Amino acid sequence: MTRINQPHPVLRVDNLCVEFATTAGQIRAVDQLSFSVEAGQTLGIVGESGCGKSVTSLAIMGLLPKPAGRIVDGSVLLDGQELTRLPEGRLRQLRGAELSMIFQEPMTALNPVYSIARQMTAVLKRHQQLSARQARHRAIEMLARVGIPRPDQRIDDYPHQLSGGMRQRVMIAMALSCQPKLLIADEPTTALDVTTQAQVLRQMVDLQQELGTAVILITHDLGVIAETCDQAVVMYCGSKVEQAPVADLFLQPRHPYTAGLMQSIPRIREHKLDRLPVIEGQVPNLAALPPGCRFAGRCPNREDRCVQQQPPLTERGAQQFACFNPWNGPVES
Amino acid sequence: MSDPGIILPAPEPAAARLRPERTSLWGRALDQFRRDHAAITGLAIVAVFFLMAVGVWFGWWGTQWSQALGGRWEGPSGGHWLGTNLLGQDIFQRAVYSTRTAFEIGLIVAILSTLLGGLLGALSGFYSSRWIDSVLLWLMGTLDSIPFYLFVAAVAVAMAGNPWAMHIAMVATFWTTTARLVRGEVIKLKNLEFVEAAHAIGLGQFRIIFRHLLPNTFHILLVQGTIVFVSAIKAEVILSFLGLGVQDGVSWGLMIAESTQEVLAGQYMNFIVASSFMFVLVMAFNLFSDGLQDALDPRRAPR
Amino acid sequence: MNAPLLKVENLAKHFPVRGGLLRRVQAQLKAVDGVSFELEAHRTFGLVGESGCGKSTLGRTLLRLHEPTAGRLWFEGQDLTELDTSALKRQRKQMQIIFQDPFASLSPRRTVYETLREPLDLHRIGTASGRKRRIQELLEVVGLRPEAIHRYPHEFSGGQRQRIGIARALAVEPKLIVADEAVSALDVSVQSQILNLIGDLQREFGVAFVFISHDLAVVQHISHEVGVMYLGQLVEQASVERIYSMPTHPYTKALLKAVPKPDPQSDDLDAAAASVLEGDVPSPIHPPSGCSFHTRCPEAMAICRSQTPKSINIGSETDPHQVRCHLVDPALSLHIKHE
Repeated sequence: MTRINQPHPVLRVDNLCVEFATTAGQIRAVDQLSFSVEAGQTLGIVGESGCGKSVTSLAIMGLLPKPAGRIVDGSVLLDGQELTRLPEGRLRQLRGAELSMIFQEPMTALNPVYSIARQMTAVLKRHQQLSARQARHRAIEMLARVGIPRPDQRIDDYPHQLSGGMRQRVMIAMALSCQPKLLIADEPTTALDVTTQAQVLRQMVDLQQELGTAVILITHDLGVIAETCDQAVVMYCGSKVEQAPVADLFLQPRHPYTAGLMQSIPRIREHKLDRLPVIEGQVPNLAALPPGCRFAGRCPNREDRCVQQQPPLTERGAQQFACFNPWNGPVES
Repeated sequence: MSDPGIILPAPEPAAARLRPERTSLWGRALDQFRRDHAAITGLAIVAVFFLMAVGVWFGWWGTQWSQALGGRWEGPSGGHWLGTNLLGQDIFQRAVYSTRTAFEIGLIVAILSTLLGGLLGALSGFYSSRWIDSVLLWLMGTLDSIPFYLFVAAVAVAMAGNPWAMHIAMVATFWTTTARLVRGEVIKLKNLEFVEAAHAIGLGQFRIIFRHLLPNTFHILLVQGTIVFVSAIKAEVILSFLGLGVQDGVSWGLMIAESTQEVLAGQYMNFIVASSFMFVLVMAFNLFSDGLQDALDPRRAPR
Repeated sequence: MNAPLLKVENLAKHFPVRGGLLRRVQAQLKAVDGVSFELEAHRTFGLVGESGCGKSTLGRTLLRLHEPTAGRLWFEGQDLTELDTSALKRQRKQMQIIFQDPFASLSPRRTVYETLREPLDLHRIGTASGRKRRIQELLEVVGLRPEAIHRYPHEFSGGQRQRIGIARALAVEPKLIVADEAVSALDVSVQSQILNLIGDLQREFGVAFVFISHDLAVVQHISHEVGVMYLGQLVEQASVERIYSMPTHPYTKALLKAVPKPDPQSDDLDAAAASVLEGDVPSPIHPPSGCSFHTRCPEAMAICRSQTPKSINIGSETDPHQVRCHLVDPALSLHIKHE
């Protein structure tokens, strides 16, 4: 994949901490998370439900549910601009124009009572000050670029007239229509069938590289990460346990959690296994996290100090991981 | 996958691991309710009124509501706390006795319309788009389209002064809202997999309705019951004022009705006392009902 | 006993589509349209296909949770389609279902004990005191701690709820369990735990499974035989080894290619995207003429538009491999070559 090298990353997240007020007290959903994304680059964030990946995207967008969730520490820099301290009004101007997001469920993200044309042109008119005709023209062009056949006709359809894959394409077209600097895609293909998934991903990647957009792709699916991302961040219980260029990550995962995830994905094999490899046990409670490594309770490589101390992020070349006793073993692929 | 998007991170496992002790949905609703100060205040006021009504029931107070104990329109005094009315009856005693009347009407109407609405709503929802549902929907539509006071007047005339005419008329009109709400909920629930699982183990239709569907509409029944209670008390006041309501005894509505003559004479006590009693109870009950609704809101509880 | 545990013959389930003012039946939605297969005890039949292909409807029709429109269903040699309500109720003890959504599949106001007790009471399994012991056993079998017994569903995680759902299905000691997307809503690490549990249960109790999933990798792991479903029909069915080593129907091939591979070296997003099928699944209300897959098939021929292909066995008597495609029809392929 091509990478456009730029001196500054488009997005730089530094030491981000997000807390939620719940009936059981404060819960830290994201803990000291740092990463950056460059223009034209795709960063994957992978993890299981509750690991904080979706909360991270909402925090970047300034869309944390209020008043329960808030950013307690850290910074989010978009092109050098600090987002965490921006007033809501200014953030709203940025959203859609410089920051865009697509969600898992394209049906609920589109308003069912308005046509595609109306929803797409509204964004363009507002953020790009285009006239109605220009906006429509531009919207049709975007629809064509995400591979919607006969876009000049389909644009007047209503969301329910489109299939799931088509709706997600419309979402991508809409999200990229103002040429944002950053696109966050939260499980964009999870609700789609396999045969549509690959196409939609392909179209998203192509368009993103054409426009030089930085993308954060949030998913639980390591297969999607492998096929679309340059870098991947693996999250567990709110913190980053590993980050690496995708090729390195799959070649030699260093954190035992990453290795466990890779082994437990069901994959099409030449020879069937009797039992699938599993990560034993369960994700610990975010409100009562263990003092040491959060993965220690389930980890096959556990040592005494893992239970007492939190392992710091170690850098090994381009790869970062938070583990005292990193994984060295082979991982089937 | 089940990443919940905008909601809390991992709501269900977190909640599961947070509370080692066992908590039912009701237990959680209670926790939520306890934190709602307005609702607790409302409940406390309702409780005071309820005790007042219970006292009247057992004859502890309010027994002399019908006797003329003083002169006409006496001012408040040690003997008559809120003065007397046109006939020299003690206004406080009458207002207190009316509390019992209000609770009787409210409870009877609320319980009966909730039972009827729950049952017929569940049947209608379970057999949706079958003939039984069509019949019930037609019935609800018909009852809803008759103007309420006209309907009560008709029932009252038809039953020739029967003291239950008002109750029957109220139940007949109030159950439809409950039934519609329960019907909607049952239609939603019956397609859920736990109901399919009940079919799959071979459970009969009625057991599915009574054991699996209706228990999951209890929050609606409870909240709707409190709303009907308040509506019944308010409707009684207007009906009694029109002479269609309480036939024997006294109620706030009857007190307001008799005060019309007094107001012309510049005597406002009867009117103010009866209205205030009703206002405070209705207000308190609404606060309680709102709190209940929030506490039982299924969207609030992690699924 | 020579009869297979489950034998399905030309099973169909059509739903009437009503419309207009008078709600007349305007069309038939053919969710399941002529499906046949057999399943032995101790075996798993994997049913794979995209959303809307009718696989969930088929699963429910097998249990007569939906009344079949046509076709026959034999369970241990007995015709299920002829059972009356009370006989069906007794038969339910033999066949159970586990569901996809671990949140919707348990009644929120009942404890685990109440949920598991109900089937035991209904089918009068064991003595009253024995039932409590049985519930404890069931929890142990599915890997839940005994304290779980008096808890409510919301106190459990998705994976644990799925275990409770499995315990409920096992309570009546069924011979057949239909698992409808039973692991699709779970996280990967939990998914493999549940898949292993299902494998263990089969080894231990000999339960046969009809395992419905859209995930080809999961189906490969769990199944002995696989059926690929498209618009209500099985377009290809064979042993798992055959299907995955020599997929023959163009639809099966496309499905297999489209699976994202957890290997960045393979760089086959392009390959996957290129091989991917054009367009969307047609509406099952108005399926295309001829072969229902011809609108998306990369290898479609003229005949595919006009003639419905028959199911042809390209395997052997002992290792059958049924494919519903004109390409494998020996008579036709000769014909094509001659053209």
